[in-house]
Amino acid sequence: MKAQAKIFISLVLSLLLLISCGKKKTAELTIWVNYNDEEYAVFSELVSRYSMESKVRINVERIPFMGTEQKILSALATRTTPDIARVDVAFVATLAKRGALHSLDNLPGIDTLASMLVPAAFQSVVIDGRIYGIPDQVTCLALFYNKELFRKSGLDPKKPPQTWDEFLLYARKLTKKDEGIYGFAMHNTLWWTLPFLYTFGADFINGDTCALNTPEAISAFKFKFSLYEPEHVEPGAWKPGAVDPDMGFQSGKYAMVLNGPWKIKTLRDMKIDFGVALIPAGKAGSGTAIGGTDMVIFKNSNLLEQSFKFLKWLVSKENQATWANRLGQIPVNIESFGLVDTITHPYLPIFMKQLQTAHPRPTIMNYSEIENEVNPEMELALTGKKTVEQMVNDACAKINAILQQESLETEGKKEKPETQ
Amino acid sequence: MKKILVYTLLTLFAIFSLFPFFWMLITSLKPFGEGLSLRIIPKTITIENYKIILTQYNFFRYFLNSLIVALSSAFISTSFAFLGGYAFAKRQFMGKRVLFFVLISAMMIPGMVYLVPQFAIVNLLGWMNTYAAMVVPHLANIFGLFLLAQYITTLPNSLIESARIDGANEIRILTNIILPLSLPVVITVFLLNFQFHWNNFLWQLIVTTKEKMYTVPVGLAMFRSAHEELYTLKMAASAISLMPISILFVFAQKFFISGITQGAIKG
Repeated sequence: MKAQAKIFISLVLSLLLLISCGKKKTAELTIWVNYNDEEYAVFSELVSRYSMESKVRINVERIPFMGTEQKILSALATRTTPDIARVDVAFVATLAKRGALHSLDNLPGIDTLASMLVPAAFQSVVIDGRIYGIPDQVTCLALFYNKELFRKSGLDPKKPPQTWDEFLLYARKLTKKDEGIYGFAMHNTLWWTLPFLYTFGADFINGDTCALNTPEAISAFKFKFSLYEPEHVEPGAWKPGAVDPDMGFQSGKYAMVLNGPWKIKTLRDMKIDFGVALIPAGKAGSGTAIGGTDMVIFKNSNLLEQSFKFLKWLVSKENQATWANRLGQIPVNIESFGLVDTITHPYLPIFMKQLQTAHPRPTIMNYSEIENEVNPEMELALTGKKTVEQMVNDACAKINAILQQESLETEGKKEKPETQ
Repeated sequence: MKKILVYTLLTLFAIFSLFPFFWMLITSLKPFGEGLSLRIIPKTITIENYKIILTQYNFFRYFLNSLIVALSSAFISTSFAFLGGYAFAKRQFMGKRVLFFVLISAMMIPGMVYLVPQFAIVNLLGWMNTYAAMVVPHLANIFGLFLLAQYITTLPNSLIESARIDGANEIRILTNIILPLSLPVVITVFLLNFQFHWNNFLWQLIVTTKEKMYTVPVGLAMFRSAHEELYTLKMAASAISLMPISILFVFAQKFFISGITQGAIKG
C-alpha cells in the first residue's frame, strides 16, 4: 500500500513537473548575487548605472551566500534559474559538467576579455577546454605578520621573511610559550595547505591523478607539519576548539598567519599594527592558493548575448578599478591594477603581486569531497598517528577513487550536451 | 534528601541547556569584531548590534514575514488537524482505516524527497515570493492529525451522545466538548507547527528571491558571506527572533496546566 501510494504521488508530481518546464519571456536580466552588505551596495550602484546607459532592465536578487547552491540546484530542477548568478569558483565545474551553463566560447569579444583578466582566475572557469563564466572576484592568500610582535622580538618589521628557512628562524624567535605567543598559526585543510605545496613545486592533482605522493609534496607536508611538531612554533590552532589563526592574530597571540584580502578591513578597524608580505618562497618560489567567485549564465536563459554584454561591462577596466578602490579588493581585470589607489589601500599591491604566483584550481566537480577525504588524513599525520608517506598514499587512494568516479560520470553525460 | 538531589540535577541540567542562550545574549552585546572572543563577561557592553539590526537591515520586515507565515500556518494546519482528528476518531465513513493508514505511511517519506516536486507546483501556480508559497504546502500536518486523533479516541463516546441527545449539532459538539477537552494536545500541535514554520530555512529560501519576502532564518543566513560571519549581528538578530517562541512557550505552559485540570474535572 505504502509503495503504491508513493508511486502514485510521484507520478502526479512528475507530470506537474513536466508541465512546468516553460520559459520566462521577459526582456529583463535577472541576476542572483550573494554579496555581503558593502559589496552589494557597490554592485547595485554599478547596475543602476548600466541600466541607465544601456536601457536594459536588470533585476538583482540578493540571496544568502550559505543557501546559494541549494537554491540554484532546486531552481535547475524546475528550470527557474536566473539569467546570471554569482557562484563560488568550485561550483562552476559542478554546474558546467552537468550541462547547466551556457558556454561563452563563441561570443564576440571573449578573447580580448580573456586576455585582460587575471590568468589564474580566468583559468578556473575554463572547463574541459570551454569557457563557462566570467570571474567577478578574485582572492588569494598572503602572509600577515604582526609588526608589534616583530619589534618585541628584535626583528625588523620592514623585513618580513622571504624564504621558508628565514620564516622558520623568525618563527622560533617570535615564539614565547610562557606568554602564550606563537610565531605561526595554521589551518589544516587542503586549501590552506596549497601554498605549501605550490612553493615546494607540488600540486594535489596532476592531470587525472592525485599528486600528493610526489617527493615535492611529501617534503612540503613534512615542512608544514614540523612547524607544529617538533618545532613547536605553531600551537595547534587547527585543532577543534583551539583559538583559530584569525582570532589569535587579532588578539596578538600569533605573530604570523596566512590570510586573504577579506581580512584587511577588520584588522585595520581593530587598529592592529600588521604587515602583509608574499608567502615565503620554497624551491619553486612563492606561490598561493586562489579563491573567489564567478558569474555564470544559465542554459535556461534566452538572453545570452545581453547577459554577456553586462558581464563584460562589469569587469571592464574602469568598473573593476571602482570595485577595488571602494572595497579594497583585488581587481579581476589586470588593466585596473594601475588604477588602484595604493594610498588608501596600502596592502593591495602585495596581493596583486602575490596573485601573479597563483596557481589555477583544477576544475574538478567534487572539490569539497576531496577536502573531506584529505583533511582527516592530514590531521592523522599531523598528530603523529601516521607517517607522512603513509598519509599521502592513503589520501591518494581516496582522491583517485573520487576522480575516477567523476570521469565515469562525465563520460556518461558528455554525449547529451553535444547533441543539444 | 531525595529532593535536594533532584533539584541539584535539575539545576545542572538547566544551566547546561540555558548556556547557549546565555552565550548568544553575551555575544550579541559584544562590540563589532569581537564576536568570537571567549570572554564570558565582555570588556565593553554595547547595544550597538541591536541598533544596527533594526536600522540598517530589513530585519523588522523579516520578522513580520516570519510572524505572518508561522502564525497563519500554525493556526490553519492545527485547525485541519483538529477537524481531521475528530473525524478519524469519532465518525464512521467508508475507507476510514485505509485512509488513515495511507496518511500514516505518507508520514514516513522524508521531506527532502518532495522538496523539488513541491517547488515545481508552487512555481507553476505562480506563487513564487508570496506568503501562499510559504504557508499552503505545509498545511496538511499528518503528525498533528495523528496526535489529535489518538487523543480524541480516548474521550468517552457517551459525552458526545448525551450532547447530541440534548440537541447539540456537530459544530457545538466540536467547540463546546471536544475542543476544551483536547486543548492541551491542540496547543501542543499548534506549538510544534509554529516552531517548525518559524525555524524553517530551506523551503523559505527556495520559494523566495525578493529580500522583502525573506523570513528570519533566511535573513540570518545573510550575515554570513564568503569569508566572514558577522557573529555579533547574527546573535543580536537571533536573540530577537527567539522572542516570539519564548513568549509563546511561557503562555502555553499556563494553558497546558489549565487545560489538563479542566479536562480532569469535566471528564
